[in-house]
Amino acid sequence: MRNTFMGIVVGLAAVLVFSSVAMSQTAQPQANQANSSNKADQGNEAHSPWKFYPTDKAVGDGGPAPKRELTGSWAGPSSGMAVPRGEPGEAPTLTPLGQQLMSQNKPLGKYSPAGTNDPHVRYCDPFGVPMNDLNEIRGLAFATMPDRIIMLLQYQDIWREIWTDGRALPTNVGGRGKDAHDPTYNGYSVGHWEDDYTLVVDTTGLDNRTWVSAAGYPHTVNAHVQERFTRVDRNDLKLSITIDDPKIYTKPFSLGTENFRWIPNQKIAEWQCIPSEVQEYLQEMGDPAGSDPNAAPQRRQ
Amino acid sequence: MKTKMLALVVLIAGVLTICSPLFAHHGAAAYDMTKPIELKDAVVTKFAWINPHPLIAVDYKDDKGNVQHWTTEMGSTPAVSLIGWSRTTLQPGDVITIYIWKSKSGRTVGRLNKVILADGTTMRDTQTGADNGGRADTGVRQ
Repeated sequence: MRNTFMGIVVGLAAVLVFSSVAMSQTAQPQANQANSSNKADQGNEAHSPWKFYPTDKAVGDGGPAPKRELTGSWAGPSSGMAVPRGEPGEAPTLTPLGQQLMSQNKPLGKYSPAGTNDPHVRYCDPFGVPMNDLNEIRGLAFATMPDRIIMLLQYQDIWREIWTDGRALPTNVGGRGKDAHDPTYNGYSVGHWEDDYTLVVDTTGLDNRTWVSAAGYPHTVNAHVQERFTRVDRNDLKLSITIDDPKIYTKPFSLGTENFRWIPNQKIAEWQCIPSEVQEYLQEMGDPAGSDPNAAPQRRQ
Repeated sequence: MKTKMLALVVLIAGVLTICSPLFAHHGAAAYDMTKPIELKDAVVTKFAWINPHPLIAVDYKDDKGNVQHWTTEMGSTPAVSLIGWSRTTLQPGDVITIYIWKSKSGRTVGRLNKVILADGTTMRDTQTGADNGGRADTGVRQ
C-alpha cells in the first residue's frame, strides 16, 4: 500500500522533472504567493521551484485582473489544475472546395492511429495555428516585449510572435515574387487590446498542410484566425477562437473556447511529440491495432 | 500518515482533472471493449515511457505452455502521471497480471485496462481503466 502512495508521488514528480518554458521575466511575484493553495510556494523546502505541481492550484479569482497584462504561465485543460472545460466549437458549412479537401482527411478519432493521415499523429508535424490552441493545450505562457507579445506553448516548445507595434497583416502570402511571404505553421500575427482586459490576436498566412482541428477541417493560406484572450480576473484567462476562410467555409465560425488558470509557482513541464517515439509507437502498437472507421463515433475532436 | 494523506489528495486531484475532452490522443475504436483479456503472471519485457502513449510489452505463457507476446498502450504520459504512473512503475522482468482490451485486428496488441503488480497494487489506465471499460474516475465510456 505504501508503495502505491509513493508511486503516486514519484509519478507526479517524474513527468514534471523536465521544465522547458524559459521565461525572460517572472511576472507578478506577489500573485504567486498570495494565491497559492499550497504552502510550498511560500518557502516550504519540500517542493522544488523547478517542478510543476498540479495540486498547487491558484485559489479563487485572485482579485481584479491587472490591466493589459497576460505575462506569466498558465495551466490549461488536463493539466491537473482542475481548469474548467471550454465550450465546443460550431459545425461549419463547407463550400464545394471545402468538401473536396475535407474528404481527403482521415481524422484520428474515426480512423485510429493506423488509419489516420493526420500529419501530426503520423509524423509529429507541427499543429500550427489554430490547432495548437485546441489540442494538448495543457500549458502556455506569455512574455511581453515593447513591440510584441511572445506566446509560448508547452506542447512542442512552440513560440509565437504577436506584433503589437501597429503593423498590418501581410496580404501577399503564398504568392510569387520576391516580396511575397511564405506561409508558415504559426502564420503572421498582430495583436491589439480591445479594452484593458481583452487582447485580440489576428493571424493569417497559415501553412495549408495543417488542419484547423483534429477533426480534419482544411484551410487555405488566406484563412483568418482570430483569438480573443480575456483576462477575467488575476487567476483566470479565457480564450475564444474563430476562423474565416471564404474559399472553404460559407461563413466564419467559432472553434470554441479554452480556459486557463494562473500557475502559482510559474513552472510548466516539458511535453513533446518526438518523431522517433511516434515511430516506435506506431510500429509496435498503433499500426498492428488496426483501424475500424465504422465503429461508433468517438468523442469531440 | 501525513504522506498518505498528501498522496491521496494528489490522487483525487489528478483523477478529477482527467475529465477533459482534450485528454485523449485517440478513442478506443480499434479495440474490443466487451471484456478485457487477463494475462496472469506475465513477464514485462519492455516498459517504454514514450509519447503519444507509453507501451507495456509482456511475455505470457498460455495454458498449453506457448509464449505469447503482447503489447499494450495507455493514456499519455501527462495523463497517467496524474494517477500515479511514472517512468519507473514497471521494468523488464517484473511479473504482473495485466488486463487488456484486445484489438479488433486479431494481433496481440491492445489498450490497457489495469495492471496488478507483484505486491498487489492495482494500476489502472485513465481512459479505459474502469472494469466496465469506462474512464478510471467515472466509469463513463468515451
